[in-house]
Amino acid sequence: MRAELAIMLALLLGACGSTPKQVDPPRLRAALEAESDGAKRYERGDYVVAARRFAEAAKLHASIDDATGVARNRLHLARSDLVQGRDEAALALLDATDAAGDAGFALDIRMLKAQALLGLGRTDEVRNSLAEAAALCAGACPRAASLHLLQARHALADKRIADALAHADAALKLLQGKDEAAETGNAWRLVAAARHASGDLAGGLVAAHAALDIDRRLALPEKIARDWLLIGDIQRDQAATEAATAYRKALAVAQAAGLDAITMIAAQALQDIGMQKKVD
Amino acid sequence: MSLLTQYDADARSVRRATRRFLIFAVLITVALVAAIFIRQGLLRQTVSYSFVADTAQDIAKGQAVRIAGFRVGSVTDVDLRDDGSVAVNFEVDADHARFVTHDARIELRKEGLVGSPTMEIVPGPDKTRLAAAQARLAFSRADGLGALANQVRDEFVPILKDIKAITGALADPQKGLPGTLAQIRASSEALNVLLANGNRQVEGIGSTAIRVLGKTEEDLTHLGQTLQAANQRLPGMLDRTQQVLDHVEKISAEAEASVPPALRDGSAVAADVREIVGGAKQTWPISSMIDAPAPARLKADSDPRGEAGRAR
Repeated sequence: MRAELAIMLALLLGACGSTPKQVDPPRLRAALEAESDGAKRYERGDYVVAARRFAEAAKLHASIDDATGVARNRLHLARSDLVQGRDEAALALLDATDAAGDAGFALDIRMLKAQALLGLGRTDEVRNSLAEAAALCAGACPRAASLHLLQARHALADKRIADALAHADAALKLLQGKDEAAETGNAWRLVAAARHASGDLAGGLVAAHAALDIDRRLALPEKIARDWLLIGDIQRDQAATEAATAYRKALAVAQAAGLDAITMIAAQALQDIGMQKKVD
Repeated sequence: MSLLTQYDADARSVRRATRRFLIFAVLITVALVAAIFIRQGLLRQTVSYSFVADTAQDIAKGQAVRIAGFRVGSVTDVDLRDDGSVAVNFEVDADHARFVTHDARIELRKEGLVGSPTMEIVPGPDKTRLAAAQARLAFSRADGLGALANQVRDEFVPILKDIKAITGALADPQKGLPGTLAQIRASSEALNVLLANGNRQVEGIGSTAIRVLGKTEEDLTHLGQTLQAANQRLPGMLDRTQQVLDHVEKISAEAEASVPPALRDGSAVAADVREIVGGAKQTWPISSMIDAPAPARLKADSDPRGEAGRAR
C-alpha cells in the first residue's frame, strides 16, 4: 500500500512539474500573426500589403486594449509609409501615435518623424525632433547609430558638411561588427555625399562604391539607382564621360524597377552633361 | 399619226427612267465603295511602328493594337527574319500617335487571363518626346495563365516535400509516433502488471517501480522530441501554405472575369483551404505545437529610399 502511494505521489509530482503550455488568446494570436505576416512582407519588399497587415494588427491590438501592440504596429505602418515615399501620411500617423509609456517607442516616434520631415525638406522642424530624440537616446542607446545618421542627413541638408561627416563617421564606428547592413550602407552613402560636398572626390567615390556594394547585396533597387546617381555626380566633377556611364546605370536600374522619379532624374542628368539617353 | 406620237412619248419616258435608274445605281455604287474604304481604314491617316519578338505565337496580322484598352490600330505585317526572330509592323491612328512616347513599349496581353491576345502600347515615363514614325518599340509578353500556373506549382512543390518529410518522420515505425506510442503502451502495461501484483511483491517493488517509471519518462521524452521536431517544421510549412494560398486567391480573382464557370470555384476553394489551415492552426493539438509569433521587429533603416546621397 505504501508503494502504491509512493508511485501515485511520484506521478502527481511529475504532472505538476511539467507546466502546461500557455496558449495565447485567439484575438491576441490573430493580431500577432497579422503583425508577423506584415513583417515578412516588409522584408520581401511588398510594402503595400505589409502596411495593410500592420494596420489590421494595430486594429486587433486596439480591440483588446493592448496599447503597446497598437504603438508598435503604428510604428511599423509609419515605416511602410516612409519606404513608399508617403512622408505626409507617415508624419500624420506619427503625430497621432501614443508611445504607451515606452521610452523605446517614444524614441522611435521622434526618429521616424525626423525621417519624414527630412523627406519633406522641413529641416527646421527636423532639428526639434532630433533634439528630443537625442535627449531620449542618452548613454548606451541601441539606436545611437541611426540617430547619428539622421543628424548627418540633417547637417548635410543644412550645408554643415563637417558636422555631417563627423556624424556619419561616428555612425560607421558604432555599426562596426553589427548586423545592420542597411544602416551601414546609409552611413557610407552619407560619407560619400559629405566628402563630395567638401571637394574630396576620390574619397567620396570610394565611399559611394562601398554603399553601392552593400545595397547590391541587399538587392534594393531604389538605393542602388541613387548610389549610381551619386557616383555620377562625383564623377561629373572629374570627367563627364565616366559620369555618363554611372547615370546610364542609374537609368537602367530605375527603368527596370519602374522607379519613374529616378528615371527622370537620371535622364535629366544625362541631358545636363550633353549625353543622349540610350534608346532601349 | 396619233399612234406614232404616242410611241415617241412612251420611248422618251422609258429613256428618262433608264437614265434615272443608271444615275441612281452609280451613286449607290460610289457610296458603297466609299463606305468600304472608310470601314477598311484606307482613307484614315496612320503612323507605322515596329517591334521584334522571339516568336510569332499569339501575334497575327490584323490583330488589334490598343492604348489603355481602346483600339487605336492593328498589326499590318508579321515576318520571319533571317536570324529567326519575328519582325512585326503595326499601324496606329495618327490621332492617337501622341500617346506613343519614344520610350513606350508594346506588351502582348491576354484579355482577362485566358482570353484572346491583344497588343497594348504602354507609354513610357518620359512624355516629352514622341516616337518617330517607323520607330522600333520594345516588346514584352505579359504572364499568361500557364506562367502563373508554373509559378504556383514551383511554390507548392517544396511544401509537398515538407509535408512528406513530416509525415514520414511521424509515421516512422521506430522513432515516430507509432513506435513511441507502442513503447508507452508497453510501459503502461508493465505498470498495470506491477500494480496488480503490488501487494504480493511489496518487498521488491521499489526498485522495479523506479525502473518502470524511468522507462516511462524516457518514452515521454521521446514523444516530446518527436512533437518538438514537428513543432519546429509545422509553423514554417503552414506559413508557406498561407503564402501560396494568397497567390492562388489573387490569380483566381484576376481570372474571375474571364475563366469558364467551372474554374471560378478556385477562389472559393482557396478561401476554404485558408479557413481549414487557419482552423487547423487553432485546433488542439496543432495549436499547442505552434507558438504564436513574437512581436515583430523591423530592421533599422534611417534612409529607406537612399535619399541622403542624391534626393532630387
